[in-house]
Amino acid sequence: MAVERGVIENFLYHEARLMDEHAYADWLTLFTDDARYWVPSNDDDADPSTHVAIIYDDRNRMAERVFRLSGTIAHSQEPRSRTSRMVSNVEIGDEENGEVTVYANFNLTQLRRGRQETFAGRTIYKLRQENGSFKIALRKVLLVNNDEPINNLSFLV
Amino acid sequence: MTTVKGHIDYDALVLEDRVHGSIYTDPNIFEDEMDKIFHNWWLYVGHESEIPEPGDYRLTWIGRQSVIMSRDEDGNVQLFMNRCRHRANAVCQDEKGNANFFRCWFHGWTYSNKGDLIGVPYAGRYDDSFKKEDMGLTKAPRVDTYRGFIFGSLSPTGISLDDHLGHSKATIDAFIEASPKGQVVVRAGVHKGTYKGNWKFVGMDGYHPAFAHKAVNDLMQRKETGIEAKDRDTLVPSRSLEEAFGEHSLNKAWDLGGGHVRLDIWPMKRQVMDGVLKRLNSTEAGRSYLESMEQAYGKEMAREHIATQDPHVGIWPNLQLIGVQIRVIRPLSVNETEVFMYPTGLGGVPEEINEVRLREHEWFYGPASFGSPDDYEMFERNQMGLSAQVNPWLLVSRGLGQETKNPDGTIVGGVTDETPQRGQFIHWKKVMSGG
Repeated sequence: MAVERGVIENFLYHEARLMDEHAYADWLTLFTDDARYWVPSNDDDADPSTHVAIIYDDRNRMAERVFRLSGTIAHSQEPRSRTSRMVSNVEIGDEENGEVTVYANFNLTQLRRGRQETFAGRTIYKLRQENGSFKIALRKVLLVNNDEPINNLSFLV
Repeated sequence: MTTVKGHIDYDALVLEDRVHGSIYTDPNIFEDEMDKIFHNWWLYVGHESEIPEPGDYRLTWIGRQSVIMSRDEDGNVQLFMNRCRHRANAVCQDEKGNANFFRCWFHGWTYSNKGDLIGVPYAGRYDDSFKKEDMGLTKAPRVDTYRGFIFGSLSPTGISLDDHLGHSKATIDAFIEASPKGQVVVRAGVHKGTYKGNWKFVGMDGYHPAFAHKAVNDLMQRKETGIEAKDRDTLVPSRSLEEAFGEHSLNKAWDLGGGHVRLDIWPMKRQVMDGVLKRLNSTEAGRSYLESMEQAYGKEMAREHIATQDPHVGIWPNLQLIGVQIRVIRPLSVNETEVFMYPTGLGGVPEEINEVRLREHEWFYGPASFGSPDDYEMFERNQMGLSAQVNPWLLVSRGLGQETKNPDGTIVGGVTDETPQRGQFIHWKKVMSGG
């Protein structure tokens, strides 16, 4: 089944809006139960079984991440980051075993307590059709600065 | 250099129970720290397992100075200043790699991985006073290792590394003896962090966890009790955090002398060993790991080594061993610091064991983890607070007078005591005063 480009784009924009609106719980519902949220460290292609990652969350750790951001006080998000992200360069890749690979670029502006920073990179998604809508099985974020010192990446990237 | 620098009275800034805020904010004191500590003392520069083969190198720092840590073709560890002897261009660009030679691309001067100058283009225009053999890469004046940990010093004289490490050596031993081969491997990448605050905030503090890490505390409580939602402002330490870092915890805080300090979390770790062994015994990789540990050390010592693998130590001034990580602190300016965390693997264990170490490290450490960002936030709030200078003093009196002084000179207090802070400041004052 060919995937409609507009449907994919809308899905990605929707996800970006939930992250920018700090709608953490809603964001979490976009993921499959066996989802992986992965932000490599140092090297885009680093093998997570032998190399440390900035984020390598399974669904359980994603739920902890959401709890940290909304159910308690995480000082590095008090006050919380204001973010605005542009999602672009959407490219629909192969479809295999009911999962479609989607590539996109992002440009994220983050402001917190007088400091404004830009984060940019590429995201590789594996999207799966579940009950008539898409769910994210893989969200791999390739930050251009994943080998540089970072102060605070405790908002959703 | 400033005129003020030579006249700082450190005795007036560091008292037994308090320190003056200027030690975190005065650029003159920072410059003095560079001279007397970072460009003079023993600094951790890297680990031998990062450069296992001849020709392997990694760029590193001694204070603010760029240094190449290299294994030469004879297998020896070398520390070269990353500066061409001609007109000072950096000869090494990549953070790590393998090379037979280092070439300065400004004018083509080429050095072997032993540091010898082996190539000078158009050498005929130098006169006879130019001797290639005298123009090798400048070596760091001193380099020495302890069980795989490489240290360098820019001072040609001074205390030996062995004397400098002193009582902290036993903590390095504990860190690596969780491996049946007695070795850690530093090849799993690095978390690079930075914060706008003074380098001395990266301390060893057993008082802060339940508060600075409120989010982690509540995550633990959520795991322990299943309670998801609560009043965000309530301060209820979780059971495990209370046991580890509460006022009545069995854990201790140590001043090991020489500026080396640690949080001794081993009493609690020993108590939970039955559960740890049960978990290890539940997987094939875990059983294989246990077996090789018992073969290497015997049953009782294997258990002890597994219990004591996290030394939670600060080895003065720029190295910490916490959890599975080697942490390196690099001051950039009086209010800007970089922190690199290298999670280690254990030598001679199944891959799965080291993979679990990585995933557990990522939970608390790194720029998007549940712990580190809140630490950096605290350090930045500390720097912000120091701008208010009407009363310039910081209190470090917790537990003072209730500690035990051991015959070997070490001091031990309760885990929430400011024994480590005092230990670091006593040594800092001594070194900064020229002692």
